[in-house]
Amino acid sequence: MKEKLKLTEVWFKIVLLFVFSGFYILAIPYPQESGQFPQLLAAISLILTLAALAADFLRAQVTAGEIGDVDDTELKVVDTATRNVRRRRFYQAWAILLVSTGVGYLGGFLFSTVLLFGGFGLAFGRRENLVKNMIVAVAMTVVVYFIFGRIMAVPLLNGVLW
Amino acid sequence: MDVLLQAIAFVLQWQNLAALAGGTVYGIIIGVLPGLGPSAGMALAIPLVMTWHPATALIFMGALYKCSNYGGSLTAILVNTPGDASNAATILDGYPMCQRGMGGVALGLSATSALVGGTIGMICLIYAAPFLADFALEFGPAEYFLTAVLALSLIAAVVQGATIKGLIAAGMGLLLSTVGFDVIAGHLRYTFDWAPVEDGIPLIQALVGLFAVTQALVLAESAASISRLAELSGSFWEGVRTYFRHPLIMVRASLIGLFVGILPGVGQSSAGLLAWADAKRVSKHPETFGEGEPVGVIASETATNSCMPGDLVCTIALGLPGSVGAAVFLGVMIIFGIVPGPLVFMNQPEVIYSLFVALFLTSFLIFIIGMTVARRLAVVTLLPNNVIVPLILVVSLLGSFAIRNEMADVFISLAFGALGYVMLKGGFTPIPLLLGLVLGEMVETNYHRALLISGGSYSIFYASVICKILILLTILSLVGPYLGPFWKTLTQGEK
Repeated sequence: MKEKLKLTEVWFKIVLLFVFSGFYILAIPYPQESGQFPQLLAAISLILTLAALAADFLRAQVTAGEIGDVDDTELKVVDTATRNVRRRRFYQAWAILLVSTGVGYLGGFLFSTVLLFGGFGLAFGRRENLVKNMIVAVAMTVVVYFIFGRIMAVPLLNGVLW
Repeated sequence: MDVLLQAIAFVLQWQNLAALAGGTVYGIIIGVLPGLGPSAGMALAIPLVMTWHPATALIFMGALYKCSNYGGSLTAILVNTPGDASNAATILDGYPMCQRGMGGVALGLSATSALVGGTIGMICLIYAAPFLADFALEFGPAEYFLTAVLALSLIAAVVQGATIKGLIAAGMGLLLSTVGFDVIAGHLRYTFDWAPVEDGIPLIQALVGLFAVTQALVLAESAASISRLAELSGSFWEGVRTYFRHPLIMVRASLIGLFVGILPGVGQSSAGLLAWADAKRVSKHPETFGEGEPVGVIASETATNSCMPGDLVCTIALGLPGSVGAAVFLGVMIIFGIVPGPLVFMNQPEVIYSLFVALFLTSFLIFIIGMTVARRLAVVTLLPNNVIVPLILVVSLLGSFAIRNEMADVFISLAFGALGYVMLKGGFTPIPLLLGLVLGEMVETNYHRALLISGGSYSIFYASVICKILILLTILSLVGPYLGPFWKTLTQGEK
């Protein structure tokens, strides 16, 4: 399989260039003994990232010249469909997680945990198991509450509304 | 010898055996929960042991500290989430073994590693503690700085597969470790006036995000359970037999763990990764590492378990803890009036040797518990995603919150979860970043200390023999991966 330029990896490295530059620039107003070490690290990391990007582009030019007229359309169609499904599941997971965290911040641990288990049960579980998944959500919340909050005395989130 | 026999008789009293068993079980439970590491576990247990005999309390805390590592390895193997930074190396091959349905074997390897690595470490500790403490004193700031740099470059070179990407990730980790008050001048750096990070980015919360949250998101993307085969194969005892088929790796990893353990500040996280990297380097099939190679689990787990006794040497004999857990253990010792230092072996030998004997017995307890629950625990890998994903998230974010009782820590974990996910998609692994975060303060502190001692001259970094050896090893670790193919090309060209 010919290795193509991996766009995600390249974009990530470009973002890192900005991040490392940011660390370097933000350290300029610091006193010398405070800013010296992070600036040194940022400079070295910047150079390494540039070298990695250069290697990526050089490798892409070499492999582009070697790729013939292979038709990989079918592969592209399959990959795109799988990619879209995975992306949708990822966004669903993040949405459930963020909403649960927000609810937890306002209402406390119990509401947050029920929402998290229930949300994943609803979004990722089978439709025919909906009632079972909701029961599991409540049961898991109670179990976690008793084990952590009561038996192990781990501090639980209270919620700003109470 | 008399002191040792008295210590054995003391430990075998029923209340001390009960403390040993209680500390073992509690430590494993604590270790299983991502975020609630040994430091949090010991802190939670202090009110419980306040009224106990000092030696009994130390036995409980010592067992807790030791067994939390085993608990962390269980989650590292089963759900790709290390319970603590010391278990980071285990996920490299432990989790892929689970994905291939060999969860039982991996758990057998882990329990046997805890038994053998812990036993070797404790035997060496009991007899060599005073000598090991003397050797550790030979290391100055320059040597510590170079040791940390060696650890980072070795891990960057072997874990990532492409050295330059590993170094970039390690650089990211080191930069993130500079957030907060700087260690020399006390100046605030990169906090943007956000109070929760003024003491630096909290390590456990970052670990929870980088591994637990990231892993939960990766699992959520796929529609299957952890075990891609949807079945379990291989037994605990197969893992035990596999372990003893690699005696050389067992000895090498134990020695690496012991050596790393006696160096203050380096910690168990480095021991596991260094041993894994060494095992990969000497293997005839290095390409299998990271794909579910049992030798990878053997090396990382044995080193981590033999590191803990060495870590205790520095904590007890020098008062220099090698990890956050060791620091809390040091605090417990002081609470009970046991002052660490070389004289503790002469002034309170019965307390110290009782602790050593108890930790020796803990290794066997871990094996027995592992043998009993391994198959049941491996069933976790068959749970559907809509149950395992929220369970990982709830337990890990709860642990993240419980340390400082701050909602900000949950947000930090979520942010690192996003970072870890983006890194994976961008072709990077988070392990070098984690090690950079762990070692960052040590690197910067010793860098500045060394320059202060030398009056600003960089010659201190290559003055001693130890420094020269460390520099040579660092260079070899960076160019080593490229020398092999180069040599092959050269010899093939000659033919």
